[in-house]
Amino acid sequence: MSNFARAAARRLFAAAACLAAALGAANPASAQDAFRFGLAMPLTGSQALYGQDQVKAAEWAVAEINKAGGVGGKKLEMIVLDTQADPQLGIQMTNRLVSVEKVPVFITAWSGVVKAVAPIANDNRVVELSIGASSPDVAKLGDYVYTTFPLADIDITAVAKYAFASMGKRRAAVVYINNETGIVPAEVYQKVFKAAGGEIVAVETYDPKATDFTGVLLKVRAANPDIIHLHGLVSDIPQVIAQMRQLGLTQPVTSYSAAFNPKLIQQLGAAAEGVIATSLAPGPEDSDKVKEYVARWQKEVGREPNGLPYTQYLYDAPYLVAAVFKSLDDKKMPVTGENFRKEMLAMRTFSLPITGKTTLNDDHTVVKPVYLMEVKGGKWTRKAIVGE
Amino acid sequence: MLDATIILQILWTSLSTSSYYVLFAVAFALVLKVTRLFNFAQAAIMTIAFYTAFVAVQWLEWPAWAAFVAMMAATLAASYGLERIGFEALRKRGVSVMFVFVFTLMVSEFFAYVAMLIFGTWPQTVFPVIFWPVTLIGNIAISAWDLPAIGATVGALALLFVFMRFTRVGAFMTGVADNPDLAELYGINKRRIFLVAMLIAGAFSALGMFLYGTRAQVLPQTGLSLMLFAVAATIMGGIGNVAGAAIAAVILGVIQNASILVISSEWQGFLLYVFLFLAIVFFPNGLRLPQRRRFAPAAREILSDHDAPPVESKA
Repeated sequence: MSNFARAAARRLFAAAACLAAALGAANPASAQDAFRFGLAMPLTGSQALYGQDQVKAAEWAVAEINKAGGVGGKKLEMIVLDTQADPQLGIQMTNRLVSVEKVPVFITAWSGVVKAVAPIANDNRVVELSIGASSPDVAKLGDYVYTTFPLADIDITAVAKYAFASMGKRRAAVVYINNETGIVPAEVYQKVFKAAGGEIVAVETYDPKATDFTGVLLKVRAANPDIIHLHGLVSDIPQVIAQMRQLGLTQPVTSYSAAFNPKLIQQLGAAAEGVIATSLAPGPEDSDKVKEYVARWQKEVGREPNGLPYTQYLYDAPYLVAAVFKSLDDKKMPVTGENFRKEMLAMRTFSLPITGKTTLNDDHTVVKPVYLMEVKGGKWTRKAIVGE
Repeated sequence: MLDATIILQILWTSLSTSSYYVLFAVAFALVLKVTRLFNFAQAAIMTIAFYTAFVAVQWLEWPAWAAFVAMMAATLAASYGLERIGFEALRKRGVSVMFVFVFTLMVSEFFAYVAMLIFGTWPQTVFPVIFWPVTLIGNIAISAWDLPAIGATVGALALLFVFMRFTRVGAFMTGVADNPDLAELYGINKRRIFLVAMLIAGAFSALGMFLYGTRAQVLPQTGLSLMLFAVAATIMGGIGNVAGAAIAAVILGVIQNASILVISSEWQGFLLYVFLFLAIVFFPNGLRLPQRRRFAPAAREILSDHDAPPVESKA
């Protein structure tokens, strides 16, 4: 029954988050004595399991910042809204954050939402921080859209280069989901692998609603690749790999950060062996801070967070926001989106508790090392660090 | 590209995955035949079936057979409730078919919503592992899921056939399907026959969901989207023709899977809507063999009665 209790707690948590947001809206007076920012994430819908854990991480950070005295004596206040990872809903929620809550900065994720709400951020001169969306397009969304999360170019580039140079693979196949998540990364992989000197022998895509991938995988099998890169969503990646193995495709499979989660190993069993995914944040073996953080999840929630690296970035986000607010406060500058952006770029480099040093580039990207993880003996183990 | 192995593998996989589509289509077609209702509430029954099996296996850690029994029990109870509390009450009030149809849609959406509240929207499977070991026969991969799934489906269909053909209740069902009021005049309890049809449809839906959920991930809305396939198959198979629905389900499944050889894979999902569109616009009465053949025996009879010495008498 503990699973049931956990599921119920998650629902309750989501409801509480919405309620908290509603209360925030009902009490504009708090705007005077607090620094406020928005967080628009999927709390319900198919991506909720990820979204809820990310929100939880951000809430822990806000609580800690406030416990340590807040920002220049004022409270840091986070307004959480539910996007269901749906662009349409994302637009509604962002409009609310910008027009009703009047926040100078908000955080959001999922490529589709990040792109859809970018015009609102740019038009209203409110900073949009994308954390988790990995599509390289995110860097080109306008003056007010920044990311603290390394974009897919980085991890896909690393995976493609590693496959060619270190694993000695020459014939790659690319299988991807036909939506925002898959299309651009699949192009990046092909470009990098070809540039390295490899050959792309098959490129296949599948419908986001598909549950059987036999046809797609048979086309891949016919092309006889020596490595397969799979770029899907966390909900379909295990199924694609299972069917791949069932159809006798024994080649190594590479994927990206969405595949790096414990459920993949549970669902695939031995078929998960050799699957390579990326992590864009240090693991518990790399830093004590991460070890503490994971231990806290185990203690308070009873499990590892879904999509650990994403939650690490979300945990760090309020610290970045607080640092900029603090600087604005010290300089007695009005807290507007325009000033927030100016000050954030002037500071440029931030030292964040879990993911470490973060430098914002002029081209709206950040650079971080890529950790390649591989399933070995039924566990995720570190295979290599690229670009350290 | 189009070598024999690929074609055979696609045919085999689509044949095995059409097992659950056949079960859903037969359940839908049977209820439509006997009660004349487009029972979209079947999606709710499917949702209940899947999550019962899921809870039994993954939360309560019951063995597979116990989970299967629990799932069947829950599904039959739900089907009973739906017929007695829902449909029967509506029939008594003499509401229109359209009203009942809206009611069934609402029931499905309601249960999808309840499932989302309880189980969240993370995709789930009956067993924690979705990987089934495979055996290579020739170059065709046959997974450990394929044969039991096909076997269970064929077995269920055979049972249904025997039931409809050789039992009194089965014959009553055909009678009620043909003319419910006349059947009642002959002393057949219409109410009971409607219930039997709903229970059989429930059992078929549950078996189908068990098969589906042991192979693919299920979301609270999955029941509804699987239903659309059953609806397309039922219309194409000819309304009132249960066997036709089953055959149409296999054919549609094979076409959808094999389509990848000629069209880009992202259009596969779209095909279902093409089927539905074609079925409703061009084949509202199903794809039938030429009428001539259906009436051939009758025509021969007339000929033998009235015309010059029929062929038989010469022989």
